[in-house]
Amino acid sequence: MRKKRWVPWVLVAPALVVVFATTIYPLLAAFYYSFHKYDLRKAPQFAIQFASQAGDPLISIDWSLLSLRNYTLAFSDSRFINSLNVTFWFTIISVGLSVVIGLFIAVIVQKPGRLQTLTKILLIFPFAVSPALKGYSWRYMLNDQYGIYDLLAVELLIKPVNLIIELLNHLPLIDITPINETVVWLADRFWALFMLAMSETWGWAPLIALMFVGALGSIDAQIFEAARIDGANRLQIFFRVTLPLLRPVILIVTMLKAIFSLKMFDQVVTMTGGGPVRATQTINYYIHQVGFVRNLDIGYASALAYILVVILTVFSALYVAKVLNRE
Amino acid sequence: MTAKPAVDARNIRASEYIRLNVARLLEVIALLLIIAFIMFPIFWLALTSIKPLEKAYSTDVIFTPTLKNYEIIFSDTTVIENEGTDRERGSVGRKMIPNVINSVVVSGATVLIAIPLATIAAYAFSRYNFFGNRALLIWILTTQFLPAIVVAIPFFALFRTVEVFGAPLLGSRLGLIIVNMSMVLPYAIWMIKGFVDALPDEIEEAAYVDGANDFQVLFFVSLPLVRPGILVASVFAFIMSWNEFLFALIIGREMRTMQVALMTTSGVRGVMWEQMAAAGMVVMAPIFFLALFIRKNVVDGLTMGAVK
Repeated sequence: MRKKRWVPWVLVAPALVVVFATTIYPLLAAFYYSFHKYDLRKAPQFAIQFASQAGDPLISIDWSLLSLRNYTLAFSDSRFINSLNVTFWFTIISVGLSVVIGLFIAVIVQKPGRLQTLTKILLIFPFAVSPALKGYSWRYMLNDQYGIYDLLAVELLIKPVNLIIELLNHLPLIDITPINETVVWLADRFWALFMLAMSETWGWAPLIALMFVGALGSIDAQIFEAARIDGANRLQIFFRVTLPLLRPVILIVTMLKAIFSLKMFDQVVTMTGGGPVRATQTINYYIHQVGFVRNLDIGYASALAYILVVILTVFSALYVAKVLNRE
Repeated sequence: MTAKPAVDARNIRASEYIRLNVARLLEVIALLLIIAFIMFPIFWLALTSIKPLEKAYSTDVIFTPTLKNYEIIFSDTTVIENEGTDRERGSVGRKMIPNVINSVVVSGATVLIAIPLATIAAYAFSRYNFFGNRALLIWILTTQFLPAIVVAIPFFALFRTVEVFGAPLLGSRLGLIIVNMSMVLPYAIWMIKGFVDALPDEIEEAAYVDGANDFQVLFFVSLPLVRPGILVASVFAFIMSWNEFLFALIIGREMRTMQVALMTTSGVRGVMWEQMAAAGMVVMAPIFFLALFIRKNVVDGLTMGAVK
């Protein structure tokens, strides 16, 4: 046997030490904190403080005693419940938009042609824009006074629709309220969340399109040809041939995007700041508020982070299983 | 009798011709819309970054381009001109050169530490069958889905109390580099492993037959062959740490990287958009070119090979 058995251990050891130190350590430490009261406002240095006030229902005698208090608190914390809700809807909207728009782009650019090739090259560029910058630039473009997207949306979408509504209202029995032309996107509960998802979609749809382009390229062109000869039109080909063939890839991409959406943080900080009135406070953002901005409550933040870990684990396990199956 | 089908055939051809052209036209429109969707925010940011102050708060596209915004964000003079009015308008020098240096040092060091460690580990994972190989790989893959916040919280608590060279790790470049490892290193291992896997092992076999030992094979045979892959992984690692925001915010703190420095472009009139745009261009420009370089690997990189 020419390969020596101890060699791989020497090779993986340095990397493993660093990986374990930077992933296992925080996981264990956060787990530990999550069962303790650890509030930075009260403990400048790490010191476990147990509620010792009279009347506190929690038994707190020994430093090694654990408390479920942070977890029970979480599920009665309306702000945390709100963040679960916000994250859920954000995930649904952003995953839906990203996958659908990504699929649309992929089907269009995948055909041969110069403009198609150019577009395929351009697809990489939103990836170069950091999430923090994405949030700022969308916030700027959506400003109700000088935002270009606000201007375009009002002039090209809302005004024409209102014109139609106005015409329809001349008809008897029809009375539709026109859309508010002075909408302030990021001050509206629904639109703020939607636009947050839209900024995320802008970054992800092109990448998802690239993933689909790769998958479409590996489908035998003869299948499409056969469908065309059999008289199927474009829509039929898309829904009856392309979509079923892409299903496994769509599933993987959806899971991957969902994992990233559940961890949404950067743009919330730079685009909406969680507002209006917590309407865009995702789980990650709320944990940051609890741990570092509002409360400095490390114990509670750790518990919330662990709840997020548990949610993500479900998706991650499915995804990892898929990846390993491909090996 | 014979003329009628001929006329029909011509008619079909004509309608087919129109149908095809309409389809082509729709396709071109769709492509232009896609290009606009992708490129517009970038274009608008670039445009805003060279707008004079009074035009930044409007949707005007006609203006005299200026580099003043770039000058302001890098300037270290507190007030550039017209103290009274300009302070009000926010032309305060933003002193961003240290932020750029922070970003370059942190991202650069993260890559320089992570990639060599990842390379030899990836090679071992790919070429050796050792106890725990698969379990460790699954762990490495799983860490990619850990939320960054769960890593940041304990390191925040730890780094507040740990001092290196007389300064706390919290708010230091070293601290941020360490925490970046949690994200970049597993990723790089997995990615480079993919490149090593794709390498045929005949050459290595031949080297073993010729009497080379494990390390000679690794360093003189395999590594030179996998170099393009290592380069791609390095670029990915650099982009990840350059664009990283959560760690930079929580662990980096006052040691601001460019991502966090974007937030400092605010003043009396809220975010100073023309300055934010200029800083944004500085953040984005290097990644733009790097992204083109790894264009063909992005899908594999992001999905870790799940979509093929």
